[in-house]
Amino acid sequence: MIFSSVFFIFMFLPMTLLAYFLVPQAFKNVVILIASLIFYAWGEPVYILLMIFSIVYNYVCGLEMDYYKKRGNQKAAKLAFIMSVVVNLGILGFFKYYGFLLENINAVLPIEIPYRELALPIGISFYTFQTLSYVIDVYLDKVAVQKNIIYFGTYISMFPQLIAGPIVRYADIETQLEHRMESPAKFGDGVAWFLRGLGKKVLLANNIGMAYDAIAALPAGEMSVVSAWIGCAAYTFQIYFDFSGYSDMAIGLGKMFGFDFMQNFDYPYVSTSITEFWRRWHISLGSWFREYVYIPLGGNRVSTPKVVRNIFVVWFLTGFWHGAAWNFIFWGLYYGILLFLEKYVLKQVLERVPNAVKHIYTMIFVMIGWVLFFSPGMGSALTYIGTMFGIGAKGFIDGTSVYYLTNYLLLFIILIICSVPYTYKKFAQYSFGKRQDNYKFAAVCYILIFVLCTAYLVNATYNPFLYFRF
Amino acid sequence: MEREHHLSDRRKELKRRTMRRQTSLYRRMARVALIVLALFFVINIIKPKKDFSDSENRMLAKRPELTWESLKSGKFMSEFESYVSDQFFLRNQWISLKFYEDKLLGKRESNGVYLGKKGYLMEGLSAPDWKNVKKNTAAIQKFAQKNKDIPVYMALVPNAAHVLKNRMPANAPVRDQMKDMKEVQNLIGSGVHHIDVAEVMKKHADEDIYYKTDHHWTSLGARYAFDKIAKDMKIQNVESEYKEYVVTERFQGTLASKSGYHGSKDAVSVYEPKNLETDYIVMYTEEGKKATSIFNSEALKEKDKYTVFFGGNHARVDISTTQKERKNLLLFKDSYANCMVQFLLPYYQNIVMIDPRYFYDSVDSIITSYGITDVLFLYNVDTFLGDNSIADVLAEEKNEKVQKSDDSNKKQEKKEEQ
Repeated sequence: MIFSSVFFIFMFLPMTLLAYFLVPQAFKNVVILIASLIFYAWGEPVYILLMIFSIVYNYVCGLEMDYYKKRGNQKAAKLAFIMSVVVNLGILGFFKYYGFLLENINAVLPIEIPYRELALPIGISFYTFQTLSYVIDVYLDKVAVQKNIIYFGTYISMFPQLIAGPIVRYADIETQLEHRMESPAKFGDGVAWFLRGLGKKVLLANNIGMAYDAIAALPAGEMSVVSAWIGCAAYTFQIYFDFSGYSDMAIGLGKMFGFDFMQNFDYPYVSTSITEFWRRWHISLGSWFREYVYIPLGGNRVSTPKVVRNIFVVWFLTGFWHGAAWNFIFWGLYYGILLFLEKYVLKQVLERVPNAVKHIYTMIFVMIGWVLFFSPGMGSALTYIGTMFGIGAKGFIDGTSVYYLTNYLLLFIILIICSVPYTYKKFAQYSFGKRQDNYKFAAVCYILIFVLCTAYLVNATYNPFLYFRF
Repeated sequence: MEREHHLSDRRKELKRRTMRRQTSLYRRMARVALIVLALFFVINIIKPKKDFSDSENRMLAKRPELTWESLKSGKFMSEFESYVSDQFFLRNQWISLKFYEDKLLGKRESNGVYLGKKGYLMEGLSAPDWKNVKKNTAAIQKFAQKNKDIPVYMALVPNAAHVLKNRMPANAPVRDQMKDMKEVQNLIGSGVHHIDVAEVMKKHADEDIYYKTDHHWTSLGARYAFDKIAKDMKIQNVESEYKEYVVTERFQGTLASKSGYHGSKDAVSVYEPKNLETDYIVMYTEEGKKATSIFNSEALKEKDKYTVFFGGNHARVDISTTQKERKNLLLFKDSYANCMVQFLLPYYQNIVMIDPRYFYDSVDSIITSYGITDVLFLYNVDTFLGDNSIADVLAEEKNEKVQKSDDSNKKQEKKEEQ
C-alpha cells in the first residue's frame, strides 16, 4: 500500500483514525500496531511473518542484553548484541543482497550457482536500520530496554514511516511511545504536512517523472545534449519531490497520531557544496550512518588516513544501502570522493568563489550523481553522461528536446519555485502575517492540493479498454 | 540598547502572532479534514455501484470475495484496491479534472495520445518488431511468386500522426512512417505492386480524412485513397460522384477513451455511388450469417460507431455482387479496410475479405474456387508493422499442431475484444 493511493487515503486512513480515537488511551498503540501489520501485509502477505519475527526476536534480544547487564555479565550481553546485529543484517543481506552476491560470484568463478531473486520485503532497509538503532543503543546503555512488546512492535512496524522513512532512531521516539499528546492543532499540522507531501509526490514528482521516462526511452543515438540535460533535470526533481514528499506525508501522519518525527529533507537543492547537500538530503539516513558507523570508527578525530578510510567506508555503505547493484556502489563512492576532495582540497577554493558558482558546481555534480543512480548499469550511465557533454549525442538540440522543453516548461518553473525555502516562508508570512483574514489563502491552497491530487489518484486506475489493434 | 530591546520584543510578538494564527488554522483544518474524510468514506460506501464504464469501455471492478486463498496470495488486496478506486464517486468527473490539470500544465499528450490542434487526437506510433515484419514480407513475397498470373497489390495507409503533421503539437517526436513504408517495399520487392496512398492522403491533409477521436481514417480519407488504388489497379469506369450520408455525429472513438479527452466528436459518413447501382449479398462465413448491406446500423447505438462497417472485424467475409464482369478480389485486411469496401463494391463480382488475425483456413482453395483475379493487401502501417498473423495464414503447409495452439491464442484475443 502506498500513501498516494485512493485506498490508503479514503479507506485505510479513515478507518485507522476512527479506531485510534475511539479506543481508550491504553489501547492506542495496539491500534497502531495492528494497523501497521495490516499495512505491511497488504502488499506481500507472507512477509508479515518476517515482520513479526523481527519484532519478537529483537524484543527478546533487548531483554536478554538487559538481563545480563544487570547481572554484570558483559560477555553474555555482548554475545546477545552480536547475535542480534548478525541476524538483522543477515535478514537484510539475504533478501536484498543475496542475488547480487551470487550474480557476481557466478561472473567471477567458472561455476554457475543457481539462485532465485527474492521479492524484496517492503521497507526492509528502513526498519532494519531502526531495529539496529535500538539494539545498539540498548547495548551501549544509551536507552533503556523496552519491556512492553506492544510498544516495541509499534516502533518497529509503525506504518507512517515503515516503507520509506524517515529512519526514526529509537532514542528519539522512546518517550513518545508512552506519552504523547494528540491535539486538534497538531492533527491539523499533520494534515498540512501530509497534503504538502501528497502534492509534491502526486502533482510534481509523478508529472515530471513522465518527462524523464519519455527521454530515458529515447533510442540510443537519438538523444541530443539538451534532451539529456532535460531528462537528467527531470529525474533530479522527480527523486527529490517523490522522496521528500513521501517523508512529508510520513511526518504528517505521525503528527495526526501524536508523534514527532525528524525532518528528512531541508531544501537540498539550494546547497552550495556537496557537503551541505548531504546535510540537507535524507537527513535521517546520514545521521544514522554518522551515529552508528562513522563515529564508532573514530570519525574525524583520528589520523588523516583513518579519516579517509572512514569516509569511504561510510559512503560505500550509503551507496550499497540504496540498492544491490554496482551503480549504487559507484554512486556512493562518487560522493565519498567528492566529500573527500571538499574536505581536503577544495575547501580554500570554495571559500573564495561566489555563491552562484558554488551552487552551479554543486548541482552539476548532484545531477551527474543521479545519472549513476538511475542508470541500469555503469555502461549506460557513462553513455548518458557522455551524451550530456556532447559525446555520441544527436547534435546539441533537436525537435524532441524543444518538444519536451515546451511541454514541461511550466512544470519546471513550478518545481524550481518549490525547491527553495523562500517560497514556503513567503507563503507562511503572507497567510499568518499582518491581516487576520489571510489564513483563508492558506486554507484555499490546501483544499486545492487535496482536490487536484484526488483527481490524479482516481485517474491512477484509469484503464480504458481498447480494442486497439483490431 | 533600549531600542534593540524594543525590536526584539516586537519580533517576538510578531512570531507569537504568526504561531497563533497558524495554530488556529490548523485547528480548523483538523476539523475540516475529519469531516471530508468521513464524508468521502460514507459517500463511497452508500453510492450505488456501477458495473460498466462507458467512457472506459470496460467492466468496473466488483467487490472481491474474501477467501483464505485470495488473502494469502494478496489477490484480495489488489482487487479491493481496484474496487475502491473504480467505484469512487464521480469517477468520470475526477478523471476529466485530471485531464484539465494536465492541459493547464501545458502537457500535450495524455496516455500516449497526442492532443493535437483543432481537437485532434492522434496516437503515438510504436516501434515495429522487424523480425515479425520480415516474416510477413517474406510470406507475401512467396505468395506473389506462387500466384504469378494474379496481380498482387499492396496499399499501406499511414497514420494520422504522420499525415496530419500540421495538426500535431509542435515538434512532437513522431516515427517516420515514410521510411518504414520504404523498408517494407524493399523487403517485399517488385513482385507486388505498391500503391502509394500516403501521397494522396498528404495532399488532403487539411480535410477530415482521419477521425479526431479514433485511430481510423474516415470514409472521406478512404475515398481519396480509393481513387489512387482504382487507378493503380486499373479499374475501369470509376464512379466520380457519390452521395454522402452522415449516419452519426456523436462518435467518440478509441483515442477519446485512451486520452480521457471527451471534448471532440466525430461524424461518421457512408458513401454511395450516384450512378452505378449494385446489388450484393454479404456472407459472414464463420458466423454463418447473411446480410444485404455492408452497413450495420445497430452499431450506431453502441460506443464504437466505426463498426457500422460490417459490424467490426470478421475472419472472412464474402461479398457477391451483380457485377457482370468476372473480376474477383481477394482482400487481406485490417480494420482500416472496412470502410474502403464501400468504394470497391461496384467493380467486382466477388470480394473475399480475409482478416488474418482470425482466419485459419486455406487461402489457396479460395483462390481457385472463386477464380480470384486480383489480390490486395490493405493495411494501416502501424497495424501492419505490428502484425504477427499474415505469415501464418499465407504459409503453404500448415503445421496442424502449431496452428491449433495459435488458434486458441487468437480466440483469446478475440474474446478480449468483445
